[in-house]
Amino acid sequence: MSEHRIATSKVAGTWAWFFQRLSAVLLVILLAAHIIAAHYWHVGEEISVDTVNERLKNVAFIAIDYSMLAMVLLHGLNGTRTVLFDFDMFIKRRKAVDKGLWILGIATMIWGIVILWPFISG
Amino acid sequence: MKIGNDDLRARTFKWLFGRNSEFWPTNMKTGMWAWVGHRLTGIILVVYVFMHLSFLTQASLSHEKFNSLMQVTAQPAFVFMDFMLVCAVIYHAMNGFRVVLFDMGVGIRKQKLVFWIMMAIAAVLVAVGFWLLFDAGLFNGEWF
Ligand code: HEM
Repeated sequence: MSEHRIATSKVAGTWAWFFQRLSAVLLVILLAAHIIAAHYWHVGEEISVDTVNERLKNVAFIAIDYSMLAMVLLHGLNGTRTVLFDFDMFIKRRKAVDKGLWILGIATMIWGIVILWPFISG
Repeated sequence: MKIGNDDLRARTFKWLFGRNSEFWPTNMKTGMWAWVGHRLTGIILVVYVFMHLSFLTQASLSHEKFNSLMQVTAQPAFVFMDFMLVCAVIYHAMNGFRVVLFDMGVGIRKQKLVFWIMMAIAAVLVAVGFWLLFDAGLFNGEWF
């Protein structure tokens, strides 16, 4: 653990800092849309493969879900990077941490795209 | 002087959890609580995203499995957990908004006041969310 903590922007980079803010603002909008549309709009209705299917026939839902996933991964993993860099153990291995998080992020994005596909294609 | 690994570990532990650590509850003030809460909810949300994807994977693998999984998650205890998740998101978002305001130079000198204003808004959002679920009978009168 670093004995002296420094401002996040200095350790993680100004772009990472700025991006965290930008993605945060976008997430507010997307998350609100996602939570309201997927959970509150037809609150109390049973959720099944059929209802998910029905919803994903709508292009707007697909757009919201996929951009949400992208934003959440970028924001969440960028945030995880900040947390990790508070520990000496990880800041010593910056390159490896960055690489690992990118791989995890891209792999998860592909995973997300693939699992919604059967719903979208019917 | 070189310090051994065990030494370092003990010091780190004390630095994190000791009576004089900045994380000892009575040593923490509003801003620190806000930060700890933000970090905790942030980590919880990242973990949740992966659980969420796993559940959806079940759906694309087997429709029966997904449908029965959804029936399990419709039980009041699970709805309550969903509700807790909504609370975490609302807290993280409202405090995140506060952090962004500070970065733009707004309200830093009144950071405590800003925190409580944000929490008041968060409380309203949480109450609305709870009411919608309750009104739809999702807690089934079992708990409330
Ligand atoms: C609702 C919209 C959200 C807003 C407005 C928001 C805002 C923020 C902001 C401003 C920060 C930077 C805090 C700082 O540097 O002190 C942050 C950090 C973080 N966020 Fe979010 N966030 C949101 C959603 C999420 C979601 C959905 C996740 C999880 C996938 C997440 C995970 C994290 C993590 C892990 C951090 C790093 C925590 C830290 O550095 O202590 N956030 N968030």
